Amino acid sequence: MQKSLRPARSLSSTMNLNNVAGYVFILPFIIGLVVFTAIPFFTSLYLSFTDYNVLTPAKWVGLQNFRKMFFEDKLFWTSFKVTFKFAFIQVPIKLAVSLLVALVLSRATHLTGFYRSAFYIPSLMGGSVAIALLWKQLFSPNGAINQLLSVFGLPSNTRWLGDPNTALGTLIALGVWQFGSSMLIFLAAIKNIPASYHEAAIVDGAGPVRRFFAITLPMLTPILFFNLVNQVIGAFQAFNSSYLITQGKPLNTTLYYGVHLYNRAFNHYEMGYGCAMAWFMLLIIAFFTALIFRSSSAWVYYESEGK
Amino acid sequence: MKKRILTALAAAVMLCLALTPAALAEEKTTINILWWGSQTRHDLTVKLIEKFEELNPDIDVVMDYSDWTGYWTKLPAQVAGGQTPDVFQMDYAYLSQYAENGVLAPLDGYIADGSLDMSNVSENVVASGQVKGTTYAISTGTNAPAMLYRKDILDELGLTLPMNPTMSEYSAVAKAVYEATGLRDTYVTDCSAVIFRIHLRNYGLNLYNDEGTALGFDDPKYLVNMWNIALQAQEEGWGLQPGEATAVTAFDSMVVDAWSRFQNSNELQAYRDATGKDIAMVMLPSMDDATTPALFLKPAMFWCVAEESDVKDAAVRFIDFFTNSTECFDIVGIERAVPISSEMREYVTPSLDEVSQEVIQYIDFVSQPGMSSALMPADPAAASNVSELLDQYSEQVRYGMVDDLEAAAREFMDEANAILAEAANK
Repeated sequence: MQKSLRPARSLSSTMNLNNVAGYVFILPFIIGLVVFTAIPFFTSLYLSFTDYNVLTPAKWVGLQNFRKMFFEDKLFWTSFKVTFKFAFIQVPIKLAVSLLVALVLSRATHLTGFYRSAFYIPSLMGGSVAIALLWKQLFSPNGAINQLLSVFGLPSNTRWLGDPNTALGTLIALGVWQFGSSMLIFLAAIKNIPASYHEAAIVDGAGPVRRFFAITLPMLTPILFFNLVNQVIGAFQAFNSSYLITQGKPLNTTLYYGVHLYNRAFNHYEMGYGCAMAWFMLLIIAFFTALIFRSSSAWVYYESEGK
Repeated sequence: MKKRILTALAAAVMLCLALTPAALAEEKTTINILWWGSQTRHDLTVKLIEKFEELNPDIDVVMDYSDWTGYWTKLPAQVAGGQTPDVFQMDYAYLSQYAENGVLAPLDGYIADGSLDMSNVSENVVASGQVKGTTYAISTGTNAPAMLYRKDILDELGLTLPMNPTMSEYSAVAKAVYEATGLRDTYVTDCSAVIFRIHLRNYGLNLYNDEGTALGFDDPKYLVNMWNIALQAQEEGWGLQPGEATAVTAFDSMVVDAWSRFQNSNELQAYRDATGKDIAMVMLPSMDDATTPALFLKPAMFWCVAEESDVKDAAVRFIDFFTNSTECFDIVGIERAVPISSEMREYVTPSLDEVSQEVIQYIDFVSQPGMSSALMPADPAAASNVSELLDQYSEQVRYGMVDDLEAAAREFMDEANAILAEAANK
């Protein structure tokens, strides 16, 4: 008995020491998670039921922020519609473009590596202020885009960012241009499709279009699903491009939900209201993510399930 | 092994404790100072504070600064976190909001006992830092709204602007400049709350009533009139169309978009430096049928002391140093506008460069009887909502979405009055 306990005890104390060391090593992450994510997350839930102007302590007001949001704040619904429009236009285009480019780049040529990097660069700089300002310059009334159009004799006096009909489109184009990360994921997935499938199809006489729809696309659906979820979440949270380029103008056509939230919280010191808006957006995103997950059984093909 | 780790940890903790500033500084009082501004201001203020520390060896200053936009997220965050700086800059637009929420320390006691010497400062200037009769803020200097313009272009075209132009004189010059250079005007088309206030002051009115509980006018014609001038300027071409601005910064706009710009008098130097152009200033154009001078002298910005500060005496000493010491003005000149103390103003004027002299002359000109009228009370806390609302309406008008301007003006007034009334009842 004694004999067997001794080594066990020393083993358990070594284990404990290892555990302690492990916890110490992940401590920076745990602290970060608690301080910067968990505490703000629950604080904002509490604040969404308060009137909080930052300068004085928050006052509990129950559901008043939500009532104001749904029934009084006209800009709330404007920003809501703008964000939906933005998401439903940008996400499909971005996915289509990234898939198309991934298909082209999946063919091995000696410049493939260069092109892959080149197409990925805009995404690396995606959130940056510099790119947003560059976009503003390109599309300004006397910017490069209009000058290019005038070279071809096309109408060159469009105020891309100042015209309510084109402003949102111009910002969507900026978002679509940053297709790099989903493109890379598609590319990796395309590379993973066994060549034997294509070879067999070629033997059966299938052309490239037929093979795309019968082999590549079905095999890519899990990845398409993943990219779709990511992009939808990202689009609903859009903020940078509007905040930096148009500030919601002209005529609120680019007033993203995130920008309106920021204005209320930081320009008007309505922190409680801002938190309420943030929590409503969380519910919207959760709803759409759940919807996509639910629908996935109908269109996502997992090879391992043997269907 | 375990013991050794513990010993090392204990040693580390003790070392940390030993090295905290409190232990190092011994009996020194530490004050935190926060301000906003341009790079020029940051450099000058750092020098100024070093001088202050040299003259007050018992005080240690921790400095922090930001640009204007960042300041108004930084300051509230520090207030919310219980870390309000002991001394910080404040703007007229935010003064009553911060005072009413109890962030600012009343300063009347310090003025009464002489530790904050206001004996050379006019009563009006002291009053500009008061909210409901209590002094919460000390002006850093006096300035006035001004119309900056490209003198180089006007000289080239042989045009001149009088020091106190009327709207028709101003728009005649604006048209001529537009026809010759393509540069537009951004003042009459702006239609923001700030510009509308100037418009109203032409007729002896203010944007808000004295209590800040409602708008200060009840006739939609003023708003309609401002919108009509903007629409006409856009139509005739000399006013900038909405969404047509190409400038990335305010400075750029005076090179690429517009020949003139509405700013404050103490910003002349910054605009000359940033654009490299010969920029001069005149008063804002007054309406042809104006009954009252619209311009006002105003505190450029304030110094405030935090109510929660434990070192208010030291904080007040810094503000007194800024207000009354020649050493201060040797360094900062009139970068935070023209000194409020008459003694300091006399002291600093002869040593100033040409641009600063121009600024002082401008303030003197505006100070003459009949050129300016009394400063309005500080804006109510809901002012940011009202000005956002006006921007929404003005944008609609400027994009030609509104047929009946008078109906729109009435609608704006109803909504704005509702916002102000609701905020007042809280």
